[in-house]
This record gives sequence, C-alpha cells and structure tokens, in this order.
Amino acid sequence: MTWHTFFDFSTMASRHLVFVYTGVWLLQGGYLAWIAWNWRKAKSLSPRD
Amino acid sequence: MSRSSTVRNAAWLWFIATIAVLVVGFRQAIFLVPTEETMGNLQRIFYYHLPHAILGLIFPYVNVVASLAFLYWRRRDPLKALTADALAVASAEVTVLYVGICLASGMLWGKPAWGIWWAWDARLTTELLLWLLYVSYLLLRRFSPTGQTGTLAAVLSVFAAIDVPIVYMSIQWWRTQHPAPVFGPNGGGVDPRFYPAIFWNIAGWLMWGTFVMLFRFALERRRQLAEQDAALLAIEASLETPQ
Amino acid sequence: MKYLGHIFSHLRKDLRLEWRSKDAINGMLFFALLVVVVFAIAFDPTGFPSTTRQISGGILWVALLFASVTALNQSWTRELRNQVLEAHRMSPAPASALFLGKALANLLFVLVVEAVLAPIFVVFFNLHVLGNAWLFALILPLGTWAIVVNGTFFAALGLRTRNRELLLPLILLPVSLPALLMMVQASTGVLTGDLDLIQIRTWITQLAGYDIIYTTVCILLFETVLNAE
Repeated sequence: MTWHTFFDFSTMASRHLVFVYTGVWLLQGGYLAWIAWNWRKAKSLSPRD
Repeated sequence: MSRSSTVRNAAWLWFIATIAVLVVGFRQAIFLVPTEETMGNLQRIFYYHLPHAILGLIFPYVNVVASLAFLYWRRRDPLKALTADALAVASAEVTVLYVGICLASGMLWGKPAWGIWWAWDARLTTELLLWLLYVSYLLLRRFSPTGQTGTLAAVLSVFAAIDVPIVYMSIQWWRTQHPAPVFGPNGGGVDPRFYPAIFWNIAGWLMWGTFVMLFRFALERRRQLAEQDAALLAIEASLETPQ
Repeated sequence: MKYLGHIFSHLRKDLRLEWRSKDAINGMLFFALLVVVVFAIAFDPTGFPSTTRQISGGILWVALLFASVTALNQSWTRELRNQVLEAHRMSPAPASALFLGKALANLLFVLVVEAVLAPIFVVFFNLHVLGNAWLFALILPLGTWAIVVNGTFFAALGLRTRNRELLLPLILLPVSLPALLMMVQASTGVLTGDLDLIQIRTWITQLAGYDIIYTTVCILLFETVLNAE
C-alpha cells in the first residue's frame, strides 16, 4: 500500500480501514490527553506544593 | 527528589519507545506486509484489531487482582488499600477502552467483509458482555458515595470476574446448540508473512496500554494524596481553633 | 441451627412488613401484567402463532426481570428508616443471615407474582406447551433465585448511592445476562419442544450452578458491603 492508496475513499472497505486506524489513534490519544489534562489540574489542587 | 525524577525520566523514555514501536507497527501493517488475497487491504484492520482484542482480555485480570488486594488490605493497611484501588480504577478504564476499540474495529471490519455490522455469535456476544460488565463497574464508581467507592467497586469486580467464565461457557453452549455463522476470521493459522505487523503492533499496543494504565494510576494517586493533604490541613486547622 | 433461626426471623419480618402494606406485590403484579400487554402489542401473538411460542420464553423472563427490579430497590429502603441498618450492623447476628432472609422474602414475592402471571401469560399468548410443562416447576424457582439473589445483593450495594433506582438495573443486568440466557433457553426449549430432555437438563444444571456460585459469593461478601464505610 502507499499513502495514496491508504487515503482512497472510494470503497467502503478502504474507508473503514482509514476509520479504524484514525479512530484508534483518536480514542487512545484522547484518553491519554484526558489523563494528561487532569494530571496538570491535579497538580494545582494539591494544597502543600 | 531524585526518586520522582528517575520515575519521570523512565516514563518519558518508555513513552518515546512506545511511539517508536507503534510507528514501526503502523509502517509494517500498512506499507510493508503483503496484501491478503481474499479480503484485500481491508484485512489490515486486523493488525489493530487483534492487539486490542488480546490486551482487552488481560487488563481485567489486573483489575481483579487489584480489587482483591484492596479487599484484603482494607482493614489491615488502609494506605496500601488505597494504592490497590487506584490500580483497580486505572485498569478498569483501560479495559473498557481496549474492549470497546476491539468491538468497534471488529464491526467496521465486518460490514464490508461479511455485509453485517453485528452477529450474536459466541465471540462477539462474550466480548460485548465483558465490555458491559466493566462499564457497569465504572458507573458504580461514579455513583457511589465517597468513602465507599473502593469497597463497593471491589465487590462488583469480584462478581464480574466470576461472571466472565460463566458467560463464556454458557454462550459457547448456546451457540453449540443453535449454531450461527461465525463472525470474523475462522481459526486457522496466520500466514507467517504477516507476523512482523502482528508482532510490532501487539508489542506497541501492550507498551501503550501499560503506559496509559500506569499514568492513570499515577493520576489517581495524585488525587488521593491531594485529598489526604487537604483532610490533614482541615484537621490541623480545626485544632488551632481557640476553645 | 441458630443461623437458620436468624434467617427465619429476618424472613418473617420482611413477610410481615410486606403483608401489612402489600406494596411490592401489587406493584410487581401490575407491572408484570403491563409488560406482557406491551409485548403483545409489540409482537402480535395472534398474527404469528409459531413465532410467539419461540419468543414467549424470553418475554416471560424479561417481564419478570423488570418487575423484580422495581421491587428490589424498595426492599432495602425499609431498612433505612429509623436507623434500622445501623442496628443490624451492631447486632451480633451474622450479616449474611439478614441478606438471606431478605433474598428469600423477595423470592417468595416474585414466585407469587409468577404464580398469578403464568395463567394470564398462557391466556394472552395462547400458549400450548409442547414439551414437558412440569419442568417449569424446576426452571421458575431456579431462574427467579438467580435474579433475586444478585438483585437483593446489588440493591444493598447501591443503597447509599445517588440515583439508587437507576443504578440497580445497570449493575444487575450485565452480571445476570448468562443466567438470563440459561432461563430463556430452558423455558423456550420446554415451550417449543425443540430441545430434547438432555439439552434442557444441561441448561437447568448450568442455571443451578450459577445459583450456587452466586449465592455463595453473595453470602461471603455481604458483610463487606454492609460495613462499607
């Protein structure tokens, strides 16, 4: 496959392939981002440091 | 403190290594590994679907062990119990994430490959029930009153762990009695030409899953410690109030 | 024997309280009847007689499941008034006796509902049992106990949560799904006569196994839940 054929949106099969890969990155990356955001927020919550 | 900066450096190192492995895995899956004959390029979904399926069956065990540890330490050593609880919630969230991705990617694969989004066959039904069990676990945590969350969630986790083999058995028997078309690749071996993609992606998503779970664990610990500090400050403040 | 005595006192207490108000039984009966009517509207038994027999096992258990859930929550709320729950916690009697007494009381209530509902069900769906109807004497109690034992436990689990009524079905249903499969398969097997005796017996055995496993787990863990603070 090439980048060109990867981003081919003409058939359902190739569309779904892109959906799965980008979907997985979005979901996993989103979860990581959520954790990181809360990590920064929790730092400011701590009363001592 | 040198200990926490060592941990932080190790975490960053692990994260960078994980991204590297995932990039290699992506390259293998999309560009290097040959196209499969019957399903064409659609089959490449498998290289993301399989790691999530396998790992989604491992993280629940972390949750059960952490929950049992919590129940054991609850009265004996509350501080250790708190740590166990943090690990339990982290592993439960990662389970829901991985099993959910397994289901979604499976459905997206199934529609073009077999024409249907879903089938109530043994494998899919069991996977869906696993997902439902851990979502219900997270809901219980959200709805429970503070202070009781750890105990109630740990109890539900034990129920869920016992349920998983029962679900598996009963649904296998159901589909033995009423056979239905099987959704997904039918057993058989995997062509060795595909091994690199499978290997790199399993390794990559395992490293990612561990990293994310431990990061979530650290976040929970940070929250717990902040709560403890706040409680301590409140007690000290109340002691200073003149009689 | 003292343990059984404790269970009995808790059971008698719940039965007496229920007898005075009859809230749960009336509510459950009417609710189950309504669910049956809703399903009849949804699936038209007259138009599709053989399909009806196929799905009536499932409809029966879904109706009972939802009816039980409505009653299970309020079976514990009567323990919240007058700090009765604290009294239970402080008493030397084992906590699991309280649980079993209450679960048995709930079992009796749901069995009463089933006894009334079954003839109505047969009438509304024009059911003609093709298999051995006596097997229902085994399936109904086992299936009901599977719902009630976990339901009573989870109702206690969610006792002090916010949104208590919402939470019970959310945590009860996932855990009960295999039991639901077993009861429905056994019931449908008897109703349609499609499954031979050995297969029905396997489902019933699995259901009995589920009951034994979860009764044990609930008895062992109830103390933890009662003293969750």
